[in-house]
Amino acid sequence: MNESQFALRVRQALNQGLHLDARVAARLRAAREQALAHQRPEAAAGLALASNALGRLGGARGLSLRVLLPLLVLAVAFATTYAWQQQQRAAELEELDAQLLSSDLPIDAYLDQGFAAWLKRRASQQP
Amino acid sequence: MAQAARLAAALAAALLLTAAPAGAAPEPDRRWQQLSAEQRTILAPLEAEWDRLEPVQRVKWIGVAKRYPKMTPVGQKRVQSNMKKWAKLTPAQRKQARENYRRISKVPPEQRGDLRQQWDEYQSLPPPKKPAPAK
Repeated sequence: MNESQFALRVRQALNQGLHLDARVAARLRAAREQALAHQRPEAAAGLALASNALGRLGGARGLSLRVLLPLLVLAVAFATTYAWQQQQRAAELEELDAQLLSSDLPIDAYLDQGFAAWLKRRASQQP
Repeated sequence: MAQAARLAAALAAALLLTAAPAGAAPEPDRRWQQLSAEQRTILAPLEAEWDRLEPVQRVKWIGVAKRYPKMTPVGQKRVQSNMKKWAKLTPAQRKQARENYRRISKVPPEQRGDLRQQWDEYQSLPPPKKPAPAK
């Protein structure tokens, strides 16, 4: 008897209805409850595993906590570093401009294309 | 949930770490009327064009004004007289001037002598003796 024949016969039997006496029914119920008691913890563990896997693969909750949060941390870190660098550059420029504007020489001297080179050459010829 | 708590803690730590160096906040940008009386006195040469300056420029000038009280009286006078001209330069000219300032500052003071005197001498050179512009 192969599987489909067996299934057919089970169906027929079920269609006819079962007429069990109380003793058999009680034994069946006990067996079923015993089987369920054995089955439950394992089934629950299986479900937890499935939900975990789902979370890891991108269940809405898992996605937000495991992927979005580190990305957010990274984005915030990048943005802050960038802002800080810009600020550092601005502070450097501020310092440099304050020195330049209060220095001995007029701005024209710093705008002159040849003066810095001339001064450098002259200084190197000094004994 | 424990993992979420750990991640939240990491986020908080990262925020604290990255926020720490930003402690020295830059001066905020201000319109001319929003400047303090002291800032307005120091930055007076820029009054006419202040509100047309780029925000970055304004913030920088406010920073320069903050350093101003620590300068020598001579330095303060120079800043005042140079301010207007500096603000009118193009970004490329300012870049060039800063570049030259760095180059000149690198020459040891005992070798370069009195800069003002050198500049006067350089200006009095007849044109053919002036070297070609540095590339």
